[in-house]
Formats: sequence, structure tokens, C-alpha cells
Amino acid sequence: MQDTGVHLRSVTKDFGAVKVIRGVDIDIERGQFAVFVGPSGCGKSTLLRMIAGLEDSSGGKIVISDRDVTDVDPADRGVAMVFQSYALYPHLSVFENMAFSLRLAKRPKAEVEEKVHKAAKILQLTAQLDKKPAQLSGGQRQRVAIGRAIVRAPDVFLFDEPLSNLDAELRVQMRLELARLHQTLGATMIYVTHDQVEAMTLADVIFVLQGGHVQQSGAPLDLYDDPNNRFVAGFIGSPSMNFFDATVEARTETGLRARLTGQPDLSLDVPLSSPPDVGAKLVLGMRPEHLMVTEADGLRVTVDVAEELGGVSYQHGTLEGGDAVIFQQTGVRHNMHGTLQTVAPQTDRIFAFTPEGERIR
Amino acid sequence: MSIATRRRREVRDAILLVAPFLIIFGVFFLYPTYKVIALSFTDAPLIGEGNWIGLDNYIKLFNDRLFYTSVWNNFYFVLLTVIPTTIIALLIALAVGKLKGRVQALVLTLFFLPYVLPVSVVTMIWAWMLDFQFGILQPLIEAVTGKPVPVFKNPHWVMPMIAVVTVWWTNGFNVLLFIAGLRNIPDDLYEAAALDGATAWQRFWRVTWPLLWPITALVLTLQLILQLKLFDQVYLLSNGGPFNSSYVVLMQMYREAFQLNNGGYASAIAMVLFGIIVIVSVLQFQLLRIGGRRR
Ligand SMILES: Nc1ncnc2c1ncn2[C@@H]1O[C@H](COP(=O)(O)OP(=O)(O)O)[C@@H](O)[C@H]1O
Ligand SMILES: [Mg+2]
Repeated sequence: MQDTGVHLRSVTKDFGAVKVIRGVDIDIERGQFAVFVGPSGCGKSTLLRMIAGLEDSSGGKIVISDRDVTDVDPADRGVAMVFQSYALYPHLSVFENMAFSLRLAKRPKAEVEEKVHKAAKILQLTAQLDKKPAQLSGGQRQRVAIGRAIVRAPDVFLFDEPLSNLDAELRVQMRLELARLHQTLGATMIYVTHDQVEAMTLADVIFVLQGGHVQQSGAPLDLYDDPNNRFVAGFIGSPSMNFFDATVEARTETGLRARLTGQPDLSLDVPLSSPPDVGAKLVLGMRPEHLMVTEADGLRVTVDVAEELGGVSYQHGTLEGGDAVIFQQTGVRHNMHGTLQTVAPQTDRIFAFTPEGERIR
Repeated sequence: MSIATRRRREVRDAILLVAPFLIIFGVFFLYPTYKVIALSFTDAPLIGEGNWIGLDNYIKLFNDRLFYTSVWNNFYFVLLTVIPTTIIALLIALAVGKLKGRVQALVLTLFFLPYVLPVSVVTMIWAWMLDFQFGILQPLIEAVTGKPVPVFKNPHWVMPMIAVVTVWWTNGFNVLLFIAGLRNIPDDLYEAAALDGATAWQRFWRVTWPLLWPITALVLTLQLILQLKLFDQVYLLSNGGPFNSSYVVLMQMYREAFQLNNGGYASAIAMVLFGIIVIVSVLQFQLLRIGGRRR
């Protein structure tokens, strides 16, 4: 039985001939912080707007708090949305912006005062209540937009890339505030972003969207440790995973032995429970942090760019065959720029995919 | 290059750039304006010099009953046109704004088309449509009043009908201004309002109307100035009649200058109209600003 929270069943959306959402099932429990993540243009905003009711669904069913709201007006769905552009009313003060929904509902004055001041306190906006949006900084405007949502006390908060107009420092700060806000309010939140770092840091549950489908959903670290396919493996994690073409050389007791294309002197043991046949093509994925510099046999990488971040560094380079490689270095500060390095993967941390991108386990 | 030379060059360039405007402005605006002011204190005919007579023209004007009739008719006309045309333009703009793409462009063109026509064509069309014997609008008038009306020969009908013609003629431009204003209001404000539970009515009064106010104020002010300068339509449709019931200030000026050859007196009339327009439009603009700030 579905109790509360947000549930989508085979939801689809077409814009004319263009199918943007091609059948999405999503379950978000009450009080969860869910994040839709995916590359630009994959339909995240569209899906969020369908939940809000700003976009009609072409098919499927949307259930919020045990109520089928597929054909319900936006105002009656119990959701509040924070727009990327903030969508503040420029002619109204901060107070009136936050009080807007209460004024529409003709709530008593005392109640309006109380609710707006309470929200303003949570968001540290009390000193700004008389200002117009144009007199606020980007971060403050963002807070007003969130405040407007809080005042409505919705079952579900929807955020569409709320931090993308802020500078990097403010973004990190607001991210923390959002996490705190979620703990304070305990409401269900759905958050859309193309930034996988935001997704990883905020989410209880992540839904990776691509090609109109949910590619994978789950807790952030589950997606990181156990991606279902090559897209998710490449999308989650920064810098992203390295992929190399390979061929199955032999089956072993624990899995298979694979040889990388263009690397005749290196074969890797990959533990798999259902390995493909000898001679089959496959793609091996290795995260930058699982590639170790070694004296023994390995991948020979010519480093051309080194990103030094202090604690860690990311070395960008190419294999002899021309494939790009990134590997991570922690604690050591060699100047690797322009050098030839040999790196080898931790064998238990190699992911195998079919050439079509499906995970082989 | 020294700073002094560079400055001199900059000044020279600046003069060169503004000179064409200054010359044209001086020859075609400042000089005639000065001439009119000077003329209004003389008894000059339309062409040629006259004698200085001080404020006599103005004194005569303020004792002229016809002048008060004209001013009254001017304000009556403003009342009949300015606010109605603004409301009509806003309604049309709101409706056209709901249309999409090519249909919208087509409908907009249709509303704008009359504005392109010269006034003589406009008055010709309406004179035909309202013709006492053959006008296709006469059955409509008959249906309402019970009998056909020679509208431009009837003192009660003439001003309202000229107002209708004027609104029809100039409305397209106002629609265009409103459409531009509406497009400047981001969609997500309406979406946010819809999520907040605003009805269509509340969305208009709480979002569209206040955000459109600067455009509304602009349209009202432009219209006020334009309609106070009423002349062509009256001249072509009713010639001020019947019984001076559509006589307006510019009509009187025209008659004094070009038919009675009283250049000095006509200049005085022009000056007074100029004063009225300045005072009224500044007054209105201030009122609209206050109205805008209260929101
Ligand atoms: N109103 C619309 N009409 C037609 N196509 C649209 C409309 N809105 C979005 N799209 C298309 O749908 C796709 C997904 O858009 P969107 O949901 O905004 O992506 P994102 O994941 O970046 O938020 C895009 O290819 C976009 O061009
Ligand atoms: Mg988007």
C-alpha cells in the first residue's frame, strides 16, 4: 500500500512529436530529500513541473500524499516550488512576496504576520522584510523564494536548480542551509540539479534521469559503488570514471581475464559472477581514485595536465592508444606534468560493462 | 599627443556629432516657436509684419465665448477617448497575448492596420459606413435608437462618433505597446502565482496590472497629449459643426489663421493650447506616478 510521499507511475510527456519523458516510475517516501539529476535537457525540469502541475502529463499517474493529483490544479496539490529564476514579484516587498499565498487565501492579519515572521527567522531575513527584491543579493533572493514556499507549509517542496545562479562559495553555503532546512522542517523535498556534487551531498535518494528514463535510483553511495550502467557510472563521481575497451581473454575461477585494446602487455583479472564468453568485447570502468602509480606492469600514461588541489591532485593524460585517462594522487606532490607514468587499477574496483553500456556483474 | 590637444579634438568631434541635430532643431523647431510667441503679441496677418499690441490678443481670447466652447469640447473628447482607448487596447493585448505564433502575428497585424491608414482614408471609410442614407452601420443605429441618425450632423452624436473613429484608428499602436509590456512579464511569475493559488482574476490584479503600470501610464500620457491636439478628424468629418458642437481649439486656430488671416490672434490660441497641454500632462504624469508608488 502506498501511504504518503510522492509516487509516479509510468509517467510520460510529449511536446508534440518529441518524447521528453518516456515512462518514469518514482517512489519518494514522506520526509525524504530526493534529487533528480541528469545532463542538461534530459527532462528534469519537465518532470518536476509535471509534479507541480504546471505541465500536463501525457500519460501515467501522479500520486501525492495518497491522492491521485494527475489532473488536479497546481494550487491544490499541496506542493510549493522554488524556481531557478526565483520568480519573485518585483513590485512587492519581501514581506508581501512571502505573504502572497496567504493574502490570496484572505487569511487573518495576525496569522500572516506570524507565519511570515517565523519563516523569515528560519531564513535570517527578518532585517530585509521591507526591502524590494531588487535591493537584495542573489543569496537573499534565493532565501525569499524558499521563504515563500515555507509559508505555505506544503507537503512537498520542489526545487528547480535553485542554486545555479549563485557563485561557488554561496552555493556551498546554501547547500548546507538547505540540508539544515530539510532537517528542521522534515518535509518531503524534490530537488532538480545537473550538478552531481549537489546531488551526492544533499540527497537521501537520487534518481538519475537520461533519455526520458530513470537510469538508476538509490542512495548516493549505492549509485557510486554499484552503478547499473555505464551512463550512471560516468555521471556519478567527479572527476568521472575512466572507460577502456577490452576483450575477454579467458575465464577464471572468480570471473575473467580481460585485455585492454591497444595494451598488449597488460591483462586484468576482473571478478564477475556471470562473465561473458571468451572473445567477447566489453568496456572496463575504473575510477580515478582506484588507479595507483606502480613500478610493475600497468597502463602507461603521458600526463599533460595536472590539477593540484592541495590535498589531492588529478592527473590528466593519454594512453599510447590515445584514450584519455584521469588518475588521482593523494598526499604526494610530484610534478608529473609531461612525464610518463605507469598506473594499475585495484582489481576489485573494476566495473565491467557490455559495449551497449549495461553492467556485467 | 598632449592632453590639451586631445581635449580639443574630443570637443570638436562632439560638436560635429550634435551639429546636424542642433541645426535642424533650431531651424524647424526653436525659430518657429520663437516666431509664434513673438507673433502672439502682435496684430500681424498670416504673412507679413504686424504692430506690437501687448497682451491684447490674450485678453481678447479670454473674452471669446467660442474659445471656451472649444476648450470644453477638447476636454470632452479627451474624456471620450483616453481612458476608453487604453482599456480597449489592454483587453485586446491580453487576448492577443493568449494566441500563439503565426496566428498572433496575423491578429496583431489586423489590429494595427488602421493605424497605417492616412486620416483622410479613415474619415472617408467612416463617413461612408455612417452615411445617413446608405451607411452599413445605420441599421445598427436604427436597431438601438429606433431611427437612422445623421451622426455628424447631430450635436449629441458628433463628438462620441469622432471619438469612435479616433479610437479605431489609433488603437493598434497602444495594443502594440501593451503587448510589448506583457511580454516583459516573465512566465514564471504567473506559474508561481498559480501554485500560490491565484485565480485568473487575482493573477491579473496582483501580477499583470502592477507590473504593466509603467506602460499603462505611458499610454495614458501619450494619448492625452495626442487627443488634446485633435484637428484632422473634426475638420474632415464635421468641420466643427453642427452648432459648434465639435468645434475644438485647433479648429479655431486654423480658422483664425488661414481663413480670417489673423496670424497674431491664431498664435495666441496656439500658445494657450500649448500651455494647457503642458499643465495637464505634467499633472497627469505626477498623478500616475503617485498611483504607481502606492502599489
Ligand atoms: N514547452 C516546451 N515545448 C517544447 N519542448 C520543450 C518544452 N519544454 C521543454 N522542452 C524540451 O524538453 C527537453 C527537456 O527540457 P527540460 O525539462 O527543461 O530539461 P532539463 O533537464 O535541462 O531541465 C528539452 O529538450 C527541451 O527542449
Ligand atoms: Mg532545467
